[in-house]
Amino acid sequence: MNGAIGGDLLLNCTDMSVLERQRAHLKYFNPSFDSPLAGFFADSSMINGGEMDGYLATAGLNLPMIYGETTVEGDPRMSISPETTLGTGNFKKRKFDTETKDRNEKKKKMNREEVTEEEEEKSKITELNNGSPKSIKKMKNKAKKEENNCSNDSSKVTKELEKTDYIHVRARRGQATDSHSIAERVRREKISERMKFLQDLVPGCDKITGKAGMLDEIINYVQSLQRQMVHSGYSHEMVNSGYSNEMVNSGYHHVNPMQQAETSSDPLSCFNNGQAPSMWDSYVQNLYGSLGV
Amino acid sequence: MASADKLINTDVPEKDVFALHFLRSLSNLRTQNPLNSPDKSIDRVRKIKKAAYVSMARAAGGNSRLWSRALLRRAAKDDNKSVRFSRRKRKVTWKISSKRRRSNQRAPVVEEAAERLRNLVPGGGGMETSKLMEETAHYIKCLSMQVKVMQCLVDGLSQK
Repeated sequence: MNGAIGGDLLLNCTDMSVLERQRAHLKYFNPSFDSPLAGFFADSSMINGGEMDGYLATAGLNLPMIYGETTVEGDPRMSISPETTLGTGNFKKRKFDTETKDRNEKKKKMNREEVTEEEEEKSKITELNNGSPKSIKKMKNKAKKEENNCSNDSSKVTKELEKTDYIHVRARRGQATDSHSIAERVRREKISERMKFLQDLVPGCDKITGKAGMLDEIINYVQSLQRQMVHSGYSHEMVNSGYSNEMVNSGYHHVNPMQQAETSSDPLSCFNNGQAPSMWDSYVQNLYGSLGV
Repeated sequence: MASADKLINTDVPEKDVFALHFLRSLSNLRTQNPLNSPDKSIDRVRKIKKAAYVSMARAAGGNSRLWSRALLRRAAKDDNKSVRFSRRKRKVTWKISSKRRRSNQRAPVVEEAAERLRNLVPGGGGMETSKLMEETAHYIKCLSMQVKVMQCLVDGLSQK
């Protein structure tokens, strides 16, 4: 059970997977998280019992941190030097072998490493992580030592890998293994992931489901923000021209019909009730005064 | 209000950065155009608006974000005096979807919304949809921050 065998076996199996699976594979292996493991074992017959034990055994260790540290610069060296002093050597080697294979075969291009999406997994990882911070450091140190050992040969390789991180993908059982459809699926998952992120950002988007509605909401929000900027610009212009308070309000009334209606709250409210906390206010006064205007 | 997200990096600097940039640009405007010279209030508003956008782009990360670069470039193109924009020496590569857009193969529902989003977000024309959404997220954060800052300033100044 060493890296060479893993590499050969990897060559034989089908190569594609979807985004979450590849992330789960890359970053973290949790024995309690079933689906990537199931899918992984299902379509690739290469994993024998021994390797499985190796995976499960390393699941409890702080792999994500190591991966975050050493994936980019650690990979090519690891493949070059088959012996590792790490306790989790097997698992890491497999991943590093796949990395080199990816570079050679040019499967997919991703610009950054990504953490797995599952929240429960993360909480479990953190629980496990708290138990053994020392082992993390040990592994990190060992990884860095090996990095120093074979640095000359691999510096070019490192740069190559840093520019183009190819991440190995593997198809699920029962799904098309066409490379285009795989890429398509990965891309769609990327997009849906960012949509989720945007959903947290835009207020009032929890109830809306579906991509189209969400995107419309996002577009509306951006438009409303830009309109708010214009509003504030108008009010600033009024203020800077030295008008009094009443004139500012009336000027705002005058200006308002020229623009579309504000989708958010009443724009005049920003004059009546201060949105700023008092501390911020005085701070701002000082700033403005210090600029000498 | 800097947030840390592990997947996508959308860190936005604090309010002070935005406020500082904006106030600096406002004072520049004041020195350039004393109160008597500009003709109409609409022109002044336009200048303020442009100054607001430029200061937001600078505060949000200058050259490191695609939308801010596009904003600054647009501003520098129109008005050569006030905005300084330096070209990047390193070539930045990202997937350009302009050719693909005509064929529109990929999930037409998403793509038409992405098209509208591209018109809104500066610099959206050359980006892939996933990259576009990343930039949108950062843009939304910066916009909301800038709007907050401007409204706070208005409140502070109008209460004098």
